[in-house]
Amino acid sequence: MEIISKLSANSNQKKNRTTYGTLALAMFLIVVVSGILLAVPFDVKDPYLSITGFVVSNPWASLIRNLHFWSAQFFLILSLIHLYDHYHYKENTGLKKGISWRLSLGVLIIFLAMLTGFLLKGDADSLQARQILDTLAQRIPLVGNMLAYTLLGDPDSYQLIYVHHIATFTVLITVVMLEHSRRFWPTMGDFLISLSAVLLLSFLFSAPLHDNLNPTVKGPWYFVGFQEILHWLSHPEWSLLIFLVVLILIYEVNAGSGRAVFLCKKSLLIFAGIYFLLTVTGLFFRGEGWKWMNPWDTGYRYSVLHNFKSPRVSFSPGFNLKDAAASPVVMGRKESCLVCHKEPHGFADAHKPEAIGCFSCHGGDPFATSKKQSHRSLILIPGDLAQADQTCGTTQCHPDIVQRLPTGLMATLSGMISVDRYVFNEQNNPDELTNIHDLGNSAADIHLKNLCVRCHLGNPKTTYGPVNEMSRGGGCLACHLNYTEEAEWDLKRNPDTLLNFHPSVSLKITDDHCFGCHSRSGRISTSYQGLHETTLEAGQMPDSSNYRLIEESRVFKKEPEDVHHKLGLECVDCHHSYEVMGDGNLYAHEEDQEDVQCADCHFNTNPMTVTTNNLDNESAKIAALRFGNIENRNFLTTHKYGHVLINAYVENDSVIFLTKNTGRKMLMKPPAPVCTRDKAHDGMTCSACHSAWAPTCIGCHNTYDPNSPGYDMLKNKDVKGSWIEYIGSYSPQEPALGIRTNGTGREIIPVIPGMVLTIDRASFPGSTGDSIIFHRLFAPIAPHTTAAKGRDCKSCHNNPVALGYGRGKLDYSVAKGQGKWTFEPYYQNDIHDRLPADAWTGFLTNRTGRVSTRSNVSPFDIRTQQKILTVGACLTCHDEGSAVMLQSLTDYQKVLNGRSVKCILPDW
Amino acid sequence: MKFNFTRLNFYFYRDSTLRLLLLICCKFITFIVNFKQMEKAGRRSFLRLVMAGIIALFVLLWNRLIADHQELRKQKTQIIPFNKNKAVSFDGNYIVVNHDEQTTVFSAHCTHLGCLINKKEGDRLICPCHGSEYNLDGKVIKGPAWKGLVIIPFKITSDGNHIEIIG
Repeated sequence: MEIISKLSANSNQKKNRTTYGTLALAMFLIVVVSGILLAVPFDVKDPYLSITGFVVSNPWASLIRNLHFWSAQFFLILSLIHLYDHYHYKENTGLKKGISWRLSLGVLIIFLAMLTGFLLKGDADSLQARQILDTLAQRIPLVGNMLAYTLLGDPDSYQLIYVHHIATFTVLITVVMLEHSRRFWPTMGDFLISLSAVLLLSFLFSAPLHDNLNPTVKGPWYFVGFQEILHWLSHPEWSLLIFLVVLILIYEVNAGSGRAVFLCKKSLLIFAGIYFLLTVTGLFFRGEGWKWMNPWDTGYRYSVLHNFKSPRVSFSPGFNLKDAAASPVVMGRKESCLVCHKEPHGFADAHKPEAIGCFSCHGGDPFATSKKQSHRSLILIPGDLAQADQTCGTTQCHPDIVQRLPTGLMATLSGMISVDRYVFNEQNNPDELTNIHDLGNSAADIHLKNLCVRCHLGNPKTTYGPVNEMSRGGGCLACHLNYTEEAEWDLKRNPDTLLNFHPSVSLKITDDHCFGCHSRSGRISTSYQGLHETTLEAGQMPDSSNYRLIEESRVFKKEPEDVHHKLGLECVDCHHSYEVMGDGNLYAHEEDQEDVQCADCHFNTNPMTVTTNNLDNESAKIAALRFGNIENRNFLTTHKYGHVLINAYVENDSVIFLTKNTGRKMLMKPPAPVCTRDKAHDGMTCSACHSAWAPTCIGCHNTYDPNSPGYDMLKNKDVKGSWIEYIGSYSPQEPALGIRTNGTGREIIPVIPGMVLTIDRASFPGSTGDSIIFHRLFAPIAPHTTAAKGRDCKSCHNNPVALGYGRGKLDYSVAKGQGKWTFEPYYQNDIHDRLPADAWTGFLTNRTGRVSTRSNVSPFDIRTQQKILTVGACLTCHDEGSAVMLQSLTDYQKVLNGRSVKCILPDW
Repeated sequence: MKFNFTRLNFYFYRDSTLRLLLLICCKFITFIVNFKQMEKAGRRSFLRLVMAGIIALFVLLWNRLIADHQELRKQKTQIIPFNKNKAVSFDGNYIVVNHDEQTTVFSAHCTHLGCLINKKEGDRLICPCHGSEYNLDGKVIKGPAWKGLVIIPFKITSDGNHIEIIG
C-alpha cells in the first residue's frame, strides 16, 4: 500500500490517495471499456462458437477477452480487499441504513455480474453452472420460479443473461459505486498502473475456456468453495441462506455499532478463511465427478489441471486470417489445430477432422495459436490404454468399449502370468485371476518381465508407423491402426513439414495386426498361414520360397496352411469383438474367453439366429458399417455365450458367410457325414481330427544370469540380469491328444508340449525351494492348421505321439496266440522322471498330478489308452474303410463278440 | 388433475396479495374516516403503506408477465430419436433407458442441483457436477442427490424410431 501511494503524484491529498477502492474503480472502468469492445466479435446467439472463433483467428479480440476477464477478476478481488481495508479498523464504519444495505446488495450484484459473464461463455462449465443457478433460484420460496426465469430466461437463449450482464448489473454496480465513492473517475496513475498490469497478464495468460470434451466441469473459481458446501447438503437450497447471512453481516458492519459490529466482523473473517480453504480444495483437489484427487494421482493433469489451461496470446500465429476463417467448425466450435494442419487426408469417415477434430484424440490445447502452446501435453500417439479414457473412450465416443477392454486377457495376461507362476512353483494352481499390473519381483514375475509380457495391450506404442510383425501392444491402435501407402511415404519423407496423410483408425483389422504377438507362444498366426518356426539362424536360411524370415532373426519353413486361410478368411472373420476386446468378465484362460466354435458355422441342426432388429447396438452399427444394408437378416449366434456373428447369416435354407474386410460371399458347408455318423467319436472336438500339424517343442531350459543385459518389458527399459531360455528343437507334427473335463463332460482335444522344461531356480538370487525345477506339462491348443480332410484312423489309434507317448516305434505283435503292444521311444529318457523327452505320459501308465498347464486337462488314463490301442490292434490288419471297421463305429462290442479265431486282441 | 407448480405458486401469491390489498383498503378507509385526526406521522406511514401496496402490485404484474410468457414459450411436444437396442442414450434434457425389456425416459437433470447427466459407467449414470450416481431404474446409488430421477411420460411414434414427449 505504501509503495502505491508514493507513486501517486499528490500523495498527501486525501482525494488523490490510491486505495484498494480507487484501484477497483480503475479496474471497473477497464472492465466496462473492454466489455464494450468485446461485444463486437461476440455473438449472443452462439456464444461458444463466436468465442472459439475469435480466440483462434483474431489475436486482438483474444487479448481484449483476456483483458475483460482479468480486469473483472481483479475488480472482484480488489473490491473484497477494499471491504477488508475498511473493516479492519476499530471504529465503526457508521454509514446510513440506506447506503448500507445498498452496499451489501452491491457485493451480491458484483458476483452476479461475474457469474453471468461466466455463463456467457456457453461452454460445458457454463451450461452446467446455468443448470445449477436455475435450480437454486427456483427453489427460493414464493418467488423462485419468477426470479429464475427473469434472471436466466428461456433455456435455449442467452439473450436475457447478456442483457443483465451488460446492462442491469453494470448499471447497478455503477450506481452503488458512485454513491459511496470519493471520486467519479480514477486518477491517471491508478488507471495506468491497473491497465499495464492487467494488459501484461492478458498477454501472458488467456481466460479459461472449456474444450467441451473433458468430463470435469467446474464453476468459476470464486464459487468453487460454495460448490463444496453445496455438495454436503442434500437440500442445497439452504446454502442460499449463507448468502443472505453474509449480506446481513456486511450490512451490520456498515450500519451497526458496538459489540454487534465486532462480532459481525469476526464472523466475516472466519467465514472468509473457511471459504478460502474450500476454494483451494475445490480448485486443486477435485477431479471428475467430484472425486478427490491428489496431485500425484494419475489423471490429475487431465482432470484437475485442464481447468488452468491458459496459453499466451500469439500475435503472429503462423497462419493467416483467411485460413482461420476457412477452418471447419468441429462439434460446435473452432479448433486452432485445423488451421495449421489444413485438410489432412486418410481418415475413416467417422474420424474425419470435420467430425471430431484433432483435439478429441490428440489432446493439446485447441484454443492456443502458437505451435508450442498448442502442442503442450499433446498425445502424439493416442489409443494407449493408460489414456484411452481421455482419447478413444470419452463419453461421446467409445466409452463402453474402453471400459470392457481392460478385462480381456490381451490386456490382463492373467492366464500367461498364472501359468508361469504355477510352473515356477510359486502358485499351486494355474487358474488364479491376476493382472499384468500386479507383477512383482519373484522368479516367475521377473521371468515374465524379461521374456513374455511385451505382448499386452497396455504396452504403449511409442513410434510412428504401421503395425507389423515387430509390433507389440499399442492399446486400441494395436488392431485398428492402418497406414495407406501415401501415409507411410509421407511419414518417411520429411519430419519437419506438416504431414498431409494421416493413418486411419478403422475397422480394417488384418492378420498383420494380430501377427506380431500371435506369432509367438502358440504360434497361431504363423501356423494359420502355414509357417513353422525352425531353430535355424538367419544366416543359415536356405534361399528358397519355402522359407521366410520374420523379425530379421527367426527362420520359418512352409507347412500346410489352414484351409480357412486358403479360402481367404482372416482372424477377425471368426473372432468377434466380444471375444477379442473382452466382454466385461474376467477369465482365467484363453479358451474360457474364447466364444466361437466350429459348430457355430458348420452345423446340420437348426441354426441359432437373431434378427437384425434384435442385435445389440454395437454389433448392429459395426455390421451396418461393414456390410451396408443388413435389414431383415437372420444372423447366426454362438452356442457358448450367445454373441452374434455379424458376418454369417441364414438365408432361405443356406448359411451365407461374408469376409469382414472384403465382403466376399461364401456358402457354409455342414460337417461331412463322417463327422457325425457314429457315436464312437462323440467326445472328439473338431480340431482333434482336423488339425494337420502343430508346433511341438522339447528340451527347454531356463536359467537366470545376473550379469547378462536384460530388458524389463513392463517398464520398457534395459535392466541388468535376465532369465535366459535355451531351446531343444521344434517340429511340426500331428499333435498329441488329451482329455479336457468341463461341466458338460469330457472332450478330446489336441495338446502340445507347453512346457516340458527345467528351470535353474538356484540361479535366481534369493530363491527358496528346489534348485532345479522340472515339469512335464502339456497345454491345450487350437492349432489353427485346419485341414479339410481329418486324420486317418491309424494316425491316432496306432500313433504313439497321438497317445502321448512321444515319438518311437509302437508295434503290435502276436506271438503264441497272444497279442502285445510294445513301445520303443525315439528319445532318451529324461533324468528327472524317466519318461522320454517328448512324452506326456508313460506307455500304458497313468499319469496324474502336475501334468498340464490347466487343472482340467489330462493325458489318457490307462483304460482309455487300452481302448484306443484295442482298436489300433484291429487296424493293424483291417483297413480303415473295411466293413469290419465301419461296423465297429456303430457297435464295437458286437464286432468284438463276432470276431474270428484269427483275431487276437491285446490281453490287458 | 395435475398442478403446474408455477400456477400453484402464482395462486398462492396472488391470494396473499389480495389480502394485502384488502388490508390497505381497510386502512385507507379508516384514515378517510379519521381524516381530521390525521397527523404528520400518520401521513408518512400511509404513504409507506401505499408504497408497499404498489410494490406488491408490481410484483403481481411481474409474476403474471413471467407466467404468461412461459406458457407461450412452452413446447407442446418434443421428438427425440429412439433405438431400442441401445441400453442408455443421452439426448439433451432426457435419458432413454432400455433395461429389463422396458423402455423408460428419465429427465437428465440430476435431482441435486439440476446438472445434466451425460455419462454412464457400467450400469450407473453419473452426474459430472458433484458425482451423484443413479442406477438404470433411476434410483440414487450415491449422493449428494437423494431423490430418484424424474420419470417422463412418453409415447413411441408409429415408425418405432422416435419418442414423443408431451408437455
